[in-house]
Amino acid sequence: MMPPTAVLIFLVLLPAFEALKFSLGIVPADNVSYTSGLNLISTQSPTFKVFEQLFASPAFAQNIRLTLFVTFFSVLLLTALAYLLALYGRFGRGVRLRNVVRTLYLLPMFVPGIIAVYALITFYGDNGLLEALLNVFHISYQSPIRHEWGIVLGQVWTGIPFAVLLLSSGLDGISEEQIEAARDAGASFWTLLTRIILPLNVVPLLIVLTFTFIGVFGSFTVPYLLGPAAPQMLGVSMQMNFGAFRQPQVAVALAVFSFAVCALVGYIYVAATTRQNRGRI
Amino acid sequence: MSLTWFWRSGPLRHALTLIAVFAFGAFLLLPLWTLLLWAVATRWNFPGIVPQEFGLKWWSWVFQNSDVGKSAFWSLTTAPTVTLVSAVICLPAAYAFSRFEFPLKRLFYVALLASNAFPRIGLYIAIAAFFFQFGLIGTFWGVVLVQLIGTLVTMTWIPAAAFGAVPRELEEAARDAGASPLRVFFSVTLPIAMPGVIVALILTFLGSLDESQATLVVGAPGITTLPVLMYTLVDSYPEPVGAVFSVLLTIPSVLLLIVARRYLLAGYLAAGFKGG
Repeated sequence: MMPPTAVLIFLVLLPAFEALKFSLGIVPADNVSYTSGLNLISTQSPTFKVFEQLFASPAFAQNIRLTLFVTFFSVLLLTALAYLLALYGRFGRGVRLRNVVRTLYLLPMFVPGIIAVYALITFYGDNGLLEALLNVFHISYQSPIRHEWGIVLGQVWTGIPFAVLLLSSGLDGISEEQIEAARDAGASFWTLLTRIILPLNVVPLLIVLTFTFIGVFGSFTVPYLLGPAAPQMLGVSMQMNFGAFRQPQVAVALAVFSFAVCALVGYIYVAATTRQNRGRI
Repeated sequence: MSLTWFWRSGPLRHALTLIAVFAFGAFLLLPLWTLLLWAVATRWNFPGIVPQEFGLKWWSWVFQNSDVGKSAFWSLTTAPTVTLVSAVICLPAAYAFSRFEFPLKRLFYVALLASNAFPRIGLYIAIAAFFFQFGLIGTFWGVVLVQLIGTLVTMTWIPAAAFGAVPRELEEAARDAGASPLRVFFSVTLPIAMPGVIVALILTFLGSLDESQATLVVGAPGITTLPVLMYTLVDSYPEPVGAVFSVLLTIPSVLLLIVARRYLLAGYLAAGFKGG
């Protein structure tokens, strides 16, 4: 158990702890990248000054609003779509069509994220293929690329395989007999879904919800390439502050903020996962 | 009459399902189709729905570009290194996890899952700030280390599930026949668990090959892998360059997944995320 634990300590625990200290104004003198940063707040005892400045800035408020907007709608749309696909893959009639759907939803897994984003730009972007296709029918088109819905689009496209796989693996645990018995008793599809399938699939659903939330909240590539130049999602703002703006302290404070938000949500993920696997470890 | 009357009509339901599947297929495939067209286009002006001129001239441009060559070198050195290091670190742990009881097992389990629940870009920024102290920024080993974080869960859980599925009776039978523990592991346990281990190795390799965010934050400016180069290509080059590059970058994934498709059971893939 030692090597993975060492990796976790060196790559998660220590950096997170250092980031927390740095964001509270304690600047280690031996780190040039810290001390040479712009707008540095440096004190002997911990202070919330960095966060106070951050929370007071209107740009931060706009970024947070965009981040929450995108996260909410991405989680909602992705989960709904993934659930439909998982249900169809498990219970749909017609073996051939079902296999087609199964192949389709795995597809984004084989496409590197940044490539997927580029493909979406060439199709949905200004003067892209979609606009050309609609132009044939004289339908006007407003591209979502570089707007908030462009980010949601990218998150849904890239997030499908894992969401569907997780939800399907939960559905596989529901036996045909249970479904048949309920059908024989005259249950409608809706009753089946709400009374039998959903209750047996709560844990995978929770994992997908929380995992998608954290994934979207902490994303960079998709909002960087598909989102507007301003406001920015938190991940983009972090990277900008760290790189181009040379404000590592602001970047690290944003990171700590995102840890705090996701720790709340992550607790649900870890609790759900350990509960599901309780009998096995 | 309920609102779901149409759902009970067989042909209508079939038609609606077909339309939904078709729409979903279009949603997934049309962007990739556009990219493929761009990769073989030399001129494609709006509002053409196919390129006006086809040709492969951008392919030779990409192959002759020295930045691409350098990035290919970094990609093809980091990905195998990350896979190897990750295997050395995680496989013994995976075996231990599936076979032995040890103190703090549960804590370790939760810690590993929790590492998965960190917002990625935040963690990379924190790691980058931390790495400055050790001079790891912009270095090969800095990139290898930061990429390890994304491979831990895959490389531990999938093999752990595979080891756990090996029937103990077989191992015991081999022991009874006089085989040493090492011999039992290499002749009985490992061969049976191999599909799971292979899936983990392939997913780790592809994950590392396709990784862009961590490498961008920690590797810049010294180490630019192929996906990182893509950030610049998207913004500052004509469409065909990015498209050709995208097709090139997707080839390894497609090849490896075709080779390994008989191992790629959905169960294994999901196991990487929900811990066994």
